[in-house]
Amino acid sequence: MSAPGTSEVGVRLAGHFATVEQQRRAAVLGMWAWLLTELLLFAGLFLTVLVLRLLHPEAVQEAARHLKFWIGATNTVVLIASSLTMSGAIQLSRLGWQRGMVRCMLATAALGTLFLALKGYEYHADYEEHLMPFLGDRPYALDRLPASRLFINLYYAATGLHALHLFTGIAILLVLTRQASRPGFLAAHQNRIEIYGLYWHFIDLIWIMAFPVLYVLNR
Amino acid sequence: MFGLGQDDRRLLWQRMRAPVLASAALLGLLGVNVLLGATRPFAGVWLVEIAVATAMVLVVLLVSMEVRHEPPLVRLFAGIGFFWVAILFAMTLVDYLTRAA
Repeated sequence: MSAPGTSEVGVRLAGHFATVEQQRRAAVLGMWAWLLTELLLFAGLFLTVLVLRLLHPEAVQEAARHLKFWIGATNTVVLIASSLTMSGAIQLSRLGWQRGMVRCMLATAALGTLFLALKGYEYHADYEEHLMPFLGDRPYALDRLPASRLFINLYYAATGLHALHLFTGIAILLVLTRQASRPGFLAAHQNRIEIYGLYWHFIDLIWIMAFPVLYVLNR
Repeated sequence: MFGLGQDDRRLLWQRMRAPVLASAALLGLLGVNVLLGATRPFAGVWLVEIAVATAMVLVVLLVSMEVRHEPPLVRLFAGIGFFWVAILFAMTLVDYLTRAA
């Protein structure tokens, strides 16, 4: 007996490709080209954090001790779990188990939303502790350490940019889930799930680098 | 489980085995870094933390993003991207780490 909600699996050939295999490979390569530009963007931010740590060790360590280490660690667990559900969606899409795939995609979006909620709580706690040096009308808690402003500002730039990517990812995932729940989707567009999965795993990968660089190494 | 027959469950586990093991490995490695970050057991602990983070990145790349199953062109492409980042980090940090105090 096959699983409930099983569909035919395939990719509809676009006119400008010779074969479906060529179309699949071109899509994967194109996604990787974009992901690598994103990697260079985040790498520049992370490298600047490390240079700051070398130039101003005391200020950066003091600022890093004020970051919410345990929320950062919990959020890493949340994203690892979301990567597992995304892998589940990809595997089920290959099997044509549409209903299970849609559930996995919704679970992935829910975990991404949980990450953003925790991040929002963390930002709120930082605001309450006067750890937002870019707000001109509020005193800054580490005013005695001017270099800490650079680190804290970079922390917001890196995590804010990551959160923006995650927010965009959740929005695209929800649209894709809606499309993927329609009959016949997997027969024509199965590889969209795989291509999107690359993006989601990449968001996870960036956070896996951000957590040690921002929260762990500088303590 | 979820209305699946025995064959389907076996097939599902066969497909999900690698992602589940990868997640378990990532959680284990994260646990190591969290423990090291919380306790700071020795002076050069940052080297271990970077090694653990690198291992986590490799697990995501090779297993979750399935680079190991991709054709050689994609593997080369992904590898070169991270290689460029490694050059960026190495050349910049060599400069700062070797400057006189």
